[in-house]
Amino acid sequence: MTTVSLTDVASYLPGEPVPAEFYTEYPGAEDKLRHHPMFKVPPLRHHVAADETNADMIERAVQPLIERHGREEIRAVDVLLVHSQLPDLPFVGAGTEVARRLGLNPEWLVDVANAGCASFVYMLKLARQILTTADAKTALICNAQSAAGQWFTQSQVRRLAQAAIPGDGCGVGYVTTSSGAPVLDVETRHIGSYAGDMTLAVDDGRKYWEPGESQLRIAFTDAGVAKVLARGNRLVPEVVADLCRRLGVATADIDVLITNQPNRTFLRNWREALQLPAERHLNTFDAYGNLFGAAIPVTLDRAIRSRQVEDGDLVVLGGFAHAGDFAGAVAVRWHGGRD
Amino acid sequence: MSEASSTLADIPGLLRIENAGKEELTARCLELTHAVYPHHQVYGQYCTLHEYVDCPPEAVYDYLRQGHHLQEWTCSLRDFAPSGTPGRWVGHDRLEDDTRIYCEVVANPEAMTVDYHCSWDQGEKLWMIYLMRVVPARLVLDKPGSVITWTNCRHPYYDANPHPEKAPRPDRPWVGDYWDLFYAGHTVEMNNLKAILEHRHRNGLPVSTAPSRAVTR
Repeated sequence: MTTVSLTDVASYLPGEPVPAEFYTEYPGAEDKLRHHPMFKVPPLRHHVAADETNADMIERAVQPLIERHGREEIRAVDVLLVHSQLPDLPFVGAGTEVARRLGLNPEWLVDVANAGCASFVYMLKLARQILTTADAKTALICNAQSAAGQWFTQSQVRRLAQAAIPGDGCGVGYVTTSSGAPVLDVETRHIGSYAGDMTLAVDDGRKYWEPGESQLRIAFTDAGVAKVLARGNRLVPEVVADLCRRLGVATADIDVLITNQPNRTFLRNWREALQLPAERHLNTFDAYGNLFGAAIPVTLDRAIRSRQVEDGDLVVLGGFAHAGDFAGAVAVRWHGGRD
Repeated sequence: MSEASSTLADIPGLLRIENAGKEELTARCLELTHAVYPHHQVYGQYCTLHEYVDCPPEAVYDYLRQGHHLQEWTCSLRDFAPSGTPGRWVGHDRLEDDTRIYCEVVANPEAMTVDYHCSWDQGEKLWMIYLMRVVPARLVLDKPGSVITWTNCRHPYYDANPHPEKAPRPDRPWVGDYWDLFYAGHTVEMNNLKAILEHRHRNGLPVSTAPSRAVTR
């Protein structure tokens, strides 16, 4: 079977860091829960500019890949997969716009709308499948997250505890048929029974696209949060442990684990369940907040640049989506060969 | 109520809906919810088990309150005989050679609690206490049968034998050395208990059996 590698990753964070006070000192801010790990405000996050789109962020995130691998190499990708956490337009995915900007002409182009915060894992699985079964040699997989600076800064939403947690950013991966940094295995699960549990609240009952005064927010009840916590606590350690079992390694043998980073409670619980010390479960929560789907590639890129990931490391990327409707983990033997 | 509230206001560390509010309570509980819990955190100081048994609660209680049945469902308690003190039995714990165990049953039929007060080597102070309770499953699980709960607390004597001189020999291991296996050992014994009770009930046999030797009460 053809070996597929996660050859490289790159990332982009929009604008200057936004301090926690943007939220905590906002008039009427809900601050009662801020000292709890689940709602503790990250000191910094980034926000997209008012006119910045998902395609803009992806275009910027891909630049380091072009510099390292050459414009023609990137232009030649056969596969383009794009996940936009907050699509800029209904109907239209960002994928074709990304192709236009970068001058790509991929045979395979999919705007992935599922797998949320673990969509990097799912796109890596898709890319690997396409590269091993079709006449395709390279793929570009992209996660853009732009909800923080747009949705969570709405005048009424900004004061909610949930608003201070997200951050915007974009991470991209360059996937090739080579054996440099092989994808060892992937474990993914779609869990239909948890579908539909993450909902949007629009207080006047309109559809989100209908005109009205109320502001769109994520609807979380206390009971709902408790349920999602229980699911996430179980799902992520399960998929990572199953992946490790298939690879014949103990979870404690993972050199670097990178997950999505919804809050500090999940990070703590996953690390504990997988018996990993904090220094081997890397995250960028304090600097970038909850990056949703972009967290995994952004954190991986930063970890490689800061040499927290070294050649030969067993790197596991894992996470879960939404209210638990997807979970996945992928193992890569990292050989980046960056200077 | 206001009097009660003002009394409670002097007590630090209370988390109640009046002072915390629902969101704060929920957040605190989410923080306390982990994906896994280390063994020592769950079973380090207390060891509680629970099991469903398909046998009527009255029969289960009646079986447990008769101490000689310990010879059936425990792994290693055998050969009970009267100790000379009314209600107190003495037998062998075959976990270790030549080790005597003293035992009294303290049972409450209304609460359906059965506590075994035991000790290795001496019968003057019974400090190894096994707290069991039978709950009608109809009440808690909406089905026939029983739920049995079983708790042990880590008495300081588990960590330090107060009477090493009463051991049958100086190198005899101490019961407390096994504390970290209590969850496992008690699980095995609970499985025995469940199997015996369910087998007899299912087959219409008497659940309780007569003691092999009479005990003075």
